[in-house]
Amino acid sequence: MSKNAEQWQARPNFPSTHYVDARIYSDQQIFEEEKEKLFRPAWIIACHESEISAAFDYRLFTHPAGVPLIAVRGDDNKVRAFYNICPHRGNTLLYDPAGNAKRVTCIFHQWSFDTRGACTDISRAEQGYQDRFCKEDASLREVRCEVGFGGFVWVNITDDAPPLAEFLGGAMDILAPFLEEPLEVFHFHKAHVCTNFKLWHDTNSEFYHDYLHYFNRITGMMQPGYFERKYTGFPNGHATVGSMQIKYDKYEGSKERAVGWPGLAPGGWFMVDVFPGMTYNLRTSVLRMDTAIPLGPNEALIEFRGLGLKRDTPEERAERIFDHNMIWGPFGRNLHEDLLAVHGQGRGLRTGTDARWILQGREENSTIHDEIGMRHYYAEWARRMGRAPFDPFREGKSEPVRAVA
Amino acid sequence: MANPEQRQAIEELVYRSCLALDDRDFKGFLALCEEDFHYSITTYSPEIRKDMVWLDHDRKGLDTLLTNLPRHNSDHSPITRHATVYTVDVGDGTATVVSALQVFRTQLDGGASELFAVGRFHDTVKLNGAGLKLAKRVVKLDTRLLGYGYHIPF
Repeated sequence: MSKNAEQWQARPNFPSTHYVDARIYSDQQIFEEEKEKLFRPAWIIACHESEISAAFDYRLFTHPAGVPLIAVRGDDNKVRAFYNICPHRGNTLLYDPAGNAKRVTCIFHQWSFDTRGACTDISRAEQGYQDRFCKEDASLREVRCEVGFGGFVWVNITDDAPPLAEFLGGAMDILAPFLEEPLEVFHFHKAHVCTNFKLWHDTNSEFYHDYLHYFNRITGMMQPGYFERKYTGFPNGHATVGSMQIKYDKYEGSKERAVGWPGLAPGGWFMVDVFPGMTYNLRTSVLRMDTAIPLGPNEALIEFRGLGLKRDTPEERAERIFDHNMIWGPFGRNLHEDLLAVHGQGRGLRTGTDARWILQGREENSTIHDEIGMRHYYAEWARRMGRAPFDPFREGKSEPVRAVA
Repeated sequence: MANPEQRQAIEELVYRSCLALDDRDFKGFLALCEEDFHYSITTYSPEIRKDMVWLDHDRKGLDTLLTNLPRHNSDHSPITRHATVYTVDVGDGTATVVSALQVFRTQLDGGASELFAVGRFHDTVKLNGAGLKLAKRVVKLDTRLLGYGYHIPF
């Protein structure tokens, strides 16, 4: 029996932690608040250390809160991050997404800066500023930067935010044994999708959607151990997914992963979802890193990286690339399906569609088809936003904002 | 330098390969390829300053991939490959062919077409008299932003 308008609008018969109001994926005001309350205080991955391996190598990154950044390795080998904004007239300092620059010189009026953020030259300074303004007054804005947890370059644009390790808590412990060797990025691409960034993170936070993937059904869901995989929630909204043994040889054209990953059992698979929009995904021979960058309530840019070991032989690297491409490359089986699904959600949840509730009600003892991963995320979302995801505009029954799943 | 007849035959081979893939006639496409055919999609990332391989298959692997694709969920919008053969350099029994490539995607609902990707085909064609066949195709993409993507090779 179908629903009429009143029935469609009625709240689901679940605890309020087990569903969210669909408007949190389309409301402009909520989106603006998310940039300030979720992303601005968070540690965000800007790039990987292998992308800036030599002194003076730099990499540009637009922070999800909107701030354009430069991550640069200095002459002292230290990685720092600065606003990519000239303190003179606000011009963009570096234009190419990556490169090597001993000196950062603004093309507009030729003000120059070193890789420690100091201004080294102001064109005709004395003639124009006399003794009223000098190089020491024109430093770049530096933001906090730490390298770690697999060699990723993390940035935080809030000066008094807790350190990275405190932000991550124990969420990365599950991956620590597998991230001891230096890594190297071999793949990078972006996907621009008309969807809300949270929907991508939702997809990475639940595996009930394995029904979407023929590959995962054949190699995972139909194999022993699949339904024992467990979610574990950590403070600050992070979550992990335990491993199982994927049977890659069950998919025609695939094969046992010959290269593997140090310390990881053959066919192993671990995930760490980092609040508010990053995911470590380690499957047998490849580490994939997703970084979601919100562009609007219904618009997101997702950065995808594939990493192998820095010590890989050419043959080993080729194997990893093959493994990566089969499911996670731009023409891979799973990534396209996941992107297509969140694109479809973007169509279904955009303003005006009258979508009403998003269900997160599955309970299976925190195992793989339990939706506790999303519930854990939205408990943190509620705490930081000061809004209940099930009643973000305080229209329904008055309940306190819950901070736990 | 190819003679006019060779050039015409090579151009037609490239164009037939586009038509076959546009029509999702995978067997027809593979019939245009040698037994030791190799297909890859590559691109350069200015972000990580590296050449990348996005797809890499021998003929058997490509055949398996194309057989598997209907079992997967995908975007059903058709794509149209527009190739223009730029250069044909004939060597010893083979020709090296460079073509400009544009790929357009046409939405099923309403039929709007949009540019999906640009790049080049770098083909190696084996010259077997009248029976020219593709020995190798490297698709070098300039476009790296492909939205929610696509399953079928270009």
